[in-house]
Amino acid sequence: MIWNKEMECMSREQMREVQGEKLRKIVAHAYSNSPFYKQRLDEHGVHPSDIKTIDDIVKLPFTVKQDLRDNYPFGLMAVPMSDIIRLHASSGTTGKPIVVGYTRTDLDNWSEAVARCLTAFGLGKNDLVQISYGYGLFTGGLGAHAGVQKIGATVIPTSSGNTQKQMQLMQDFGTTALACTPSYAMYMSDELQKAGITLDRLKLRVGIFGAEPWTEAMRQELQKKLGVKAYDIYGLTEISGPGVGSECECQCGTHIWEDLYYPEIIDPVTLKPVEPGQKGELVFTTLDKWGMPMLRYRTRDLTTLNYEKCDCGRTCVRMGKIMGRSDDMMIVRGVNVFPSQIESILLEFPEYEPYFLIEVDRVNNTDTFDIQVEVKPEFYTDRINELVRIRQRLTSRIQSVIGIQPNIKIVQPNTIERSTGKAKRAIDHRKFE
Amino acid sequence: MIIRQLSVFLENKIGMFAKIARLLGDNGINMLSFNISETQDFGIARIIVEKEEEDRALSLLKANSYAVSMTPVLLIHCNHVPGAMANILEQLSAAGVSIEYLYAFAGKDSDFSRVVIRPDNLEKANQIAQELQ
Repeated sequence: MIWNKEMECMSREQMREVQGEKLRKIVAHAYSNSPFYKQRLDEHGVHPSDIKTIDDIVKLPFTVKQDLRDNYPFGLMAVPMSDIIRLHASSGTTGKPIVVGYTRTDLDNWSEAVARCLTAFGLGKNDLVQISYGYGLFTGGLGAHAGVQKIGATVIPTSSGNTQKQMQLMQDFGTTALACTPSYAMYMSDELQKAGITLDRLKLRVGIFGAEPWTEAMRQELQKKLGVKAYDIYGLTEISGPGVGSECECQCGTHIWEDLYYPEIIDPVTLKPVEPGQKGELVFTTLDKWGMPMLRYRTRDLTTLNYEKCDCGRTCVRMGKIMGRSDDMMIVRGVNVFPSQIESILLEFPEYEPYFLIEVDRVNNTDTFDIQVEVKPEFYTDRINELVRIRQRLTSRIQSVIGIQPNIKIVQPNTIERSTGKAKRAIDHRKFE
Repeated sequence: MIIRQLSVFLENKIGMFAKIARLLGDNGINMLSFNISETQDFGIARIIVEKEEEDRALSLLKANSYAVSMTPVLLIHCNHVPGAMANILEQLSAAGVSIEYLYAFAGKDSDFSRVVIRPDNLEKANQIAQELQ
């Protein structure tokens, strides 16, 4: 099912025209109404009149997360605060949080984007959608909420946490779709199993999972454990929140709603656009966001873009899986390590739970690379050699994929944190002063 | 005689076995015997409790998030006589039974030792043990 056939299925040429037209308007708006952007463009020697087609976007300077922090809280707003009707903020793990403001039009466009995602998942007005993303300053809860209302489905606004109650309502209400982070979905599936709640007592059929990167192997596991078709919904606070893009029924890439959010892939080192199809850092320009426009915002997410028409009929560009974040990446003994690699390796092993914690430190000038993992209860026996063998197999597999040998630490069940939000999966104890 | 042994996974950290001993103790469960085999990072505690307490100990440990399993093992009596253990072991090895691990404990008030044996072939080992005793 397609929510907005005109925008989702137009030809590439038409789309480029729409994008060029919108880019001209939003750059002019940002330049005239945001002192920040005026100064940035002036410094960069570019004027709104230089922007004629979408290809001219490369003339614009980049915006980065630090710009949002430096201009905390309202320095990037391009409308009077009287026109801002909602604020969201992302929890900053370092420094100040970042704040985003929305006009009424911005909220409408955002819910339009989420409506496209939900429709692509096959959801409609007969569905009951349990929103277990946190409600509040985090964009996940309220963002999904507005989209569900827009398509006329029923919102069950449980927010995150209180898993026992979530499971109760899921059974009693006959929830058909669950929206939450994939790690929380995994946690909930374990809790359902523990409580002896079998799939025939649930009506779940769709998983709306996002807010953190996950792997194909994790999708397979969630689909099996929850009896759903599990879809990726992508978004980030700076660009509006969840719903910047999503998968369709083909599950073959994340369609970006590019009449609203224009994506580019750049080389994170040279900052030049990469060849089509190559991996690099994702950059977004909001084409229809007026309260706080983002021009060429560097997401730090590493991925690819595919412009071929999808089997679902949509022509909107498809983004590959996020292959890590350029700032999540750790360099251990000179090798790039992405937590998502460890996750997908763990999912190859039936013996292990999908939870892990990487700890990196430096002892005697050498990096240590510890990974805490949990063995599933049914694989514990009285034989120590079997555990040693299971551990050795994982060690070898990680070494062959990443190139360095990890120290696998098998820990007791339920000791690795099951996060209800974004899972904390790596700690770097090294000090580089 | 075949009995059931509790096998508990333990991280190799200070005080881990103390916690288990305290948990069982506070719940009135006496350990008749135990044995721990270890690697650098983790170990497995193998514990024998009174037969009627086996199931309670299992659910207690599970409820406290321990990775625990029940393993059937062979329990044989070995008199306090030189060569008694040798006799038993020779019979087992003559029958081709291989032993993965074993440990012994004395009863509270008896003149023989109890030996817990984890053989590769439990049925066969049990048969031999019955013939011996």
